[in-house]
Amino acid sequence: MSSSDTSVRPSTAVLTAREGPSDQELLAARLVPLRRPGRWVSALVLLVLLAMLVHSVLTNPRFQWSVVADYFLDGAILRGLALTLWLTAAVMATGYLLGIGVAAMRLSRNPVLVSLSFGFVWLLRSVPPLVQLLFWYELASLYPQLSLGIPFGREFVTVRTAHLFSGVLAAYVGLSLDVAAFSSEIVRGGLLSVDQGQTEAAQALGLGRAKIFRRIVLPQAMPAIVPASGNLLIGMLKATSIVSVIAVQDLLYSAQLIYNQNFLIVPLLLVATLWYVLLTTLLSVGQFFVERRFARGSRRRGGGRGFWDLLRGNVPLLGGSLRNGLVGLS
Amino acid sequence: MSGRTPMEPLVRIRGLRKSFGPHVVLDGVDLDVREGEVTVLLGPSGSGKSTLLRSINHLERPDSGFVEVAGELVGYRYDGSKLRELGPRAITRQRAGVGMVFQQFNLFPHLTVLDNLVEAPVAVHRVPRNQAVSKARELLELVGLAGREGEYPGRLSGGQQQRVAIARALAMEPRLLLFDEPTSALDPELVGEVLAVMKDLAHSGMTMLVVTHEIGFAREVADTVVFLDGGRIVESGTPADVLTRPRHERSRAFLAAVL
Repeated sequence: MSSSDTSVRPSTAVLTAREGPSDQELLAARLVPLRRPGRWVSALVLLVLLAMLVHSVLTNPRFQWSVVADYFLDGAILRGLALTLWLTAAVMATGYLLGIGVAAMRLSRNPVLVSLSFGFVWLLRSVPPLVQLLFWYELASLYPQLSLGIPFGREFVTVRTAHLFSGVLAAYVGLSLDVAAFSSEIVRGGLLSVDQGQTEAAQALGLGRAKIFRRIVLPQAMPAIVPASGNLLIGMLKATSIVSVIAVQDLLYSAQLIYNQNFLIVPLLLVATLWYVLLTTLLSVGQFFVERRFARGSRRRGGGRGFWDLLRGNVPLLGGSLRNGLVGLS
Repeated sequence: MSGRTPMEPLVRIRGLRKSFGPHVVLDGVDLDVREGEVTVLLGPSGSGKSTLLRSINHLERPDSGFVEVAGELVGYRYDGSKLRELGPRAITRQRAGVGMVFQQFNLFPHLTVLDNLVEAPVAVHRVPRNQAVSKARELLELVGLAGREGEYPGRLSGGQQQRVAIARALAMEPRLLLFDEPTSALDPELVGEVLAVMKDLAHSGMTMLVVTHEIGFAREVADTVVFLDGGRIVESGTPADVLTRPRHERSRAFLAAVL
């Protein structure tokens, strides 16, 4: 055939010079997805490595697992655990209430509120939490008394600060302010991700500002807020151990107090670690359900993958994906 | 509300000016909208149509001039020498009487269709919830979406979403409905269903101010067509006058381009 013709319209040439399978054969053929043996090889390698790690951890006598078992439900450890739990809960609740307020102030049109929240976040993010904790705990040495009165003038009420802040209260206040500063930025990011049209539509309906914030904007900001907040929460669970510097006995400090006496350092650190792992696991599961709750109406949710689907999808040798995997491997 | 004669228009706009930085969007607009009439705003993009519409709801704050709805100044009160801006509560109350439909629908995606319609009447007018729900069902039937109450907006087509948005605006029982390019974000085959709902509304006597490029809708439904260009009203009149015998060069060029 002439070269000029084929170069302009190659398709006709292909059609006329057609060889190979017929249309019927192609239509009858089974579709085989791309095989991915690399996944199986890497999964196998990782499993072997994991087995080696578990084996070494379990059989190494220096981990002293029997001591870990003895102390896992020890009274002092459980009291420390309880303190860690409620301190984290109280700090996060208070911190987020403040943080949402600070974020709303930062996004308001009032320049006073904007400056105030900017200053708050700048200051609190700059000061290390440890320094803040010591500041509240040692408030009495910096300001022996606090007074209510006319600025630079007469004082009406005066409180001595010596016993105002116990260790736990100082920890609660200091960490709450820290969480408020960091969470306000997380919340602000979430609020900014909501389309301005949502606010305008709500305004056009005559909804008030507080209502728009609570019912329209904040719920839509949640999908952007939750993952980062899960990070902050789990971080704070462990960061509460900073309170040991002001002699508050949380989970980690309780373990430290015990090993300072019996020198069983590694097993007691393992006790604390196992508790942190357990709590983090529970919080991660909780985060999944919170995220699903706030994904209502979002297009990304798709076919509604449940928690177990997700878990199975991530553990390829268990459950549903086993069959598909085997097909892919064969 | 105060001393309005029956002859007075529902919306009176006088000398409205608005600039964004150096860009003049509205350059002294006077406009009347009479109760029960449909006014269509035409004009090239950037001519100030949307800004004019949004000023009526005080979503834009004018630089000068004023808007009156039902004899009441929008967003301001006159204290004998100055126009003082109203507080958020008063503005919110004024907005509740004027419905608005947006180009991008702006339905609340985290609420079901029913809750989109129920939210504002319950929160603003303190309507008992069961009463708001039955009213919402009626309105959904009116826009041809009975039975979709439990859906989330994201699962509806664009045309269905816009019809829900119209029903949402109607749930507040407004005296005036503003439409900001209600069909511009729709696939061509979905435009008709939204325009049909708007025609029904117009025939039921709703006062409507519509920014659109749908010349056919203007010709068929509008009582008044207003042509804007460069922030000014170039001409206005009956559809027959403005659409078939435009007097100005600008309107003629625009109509030639869109028809």
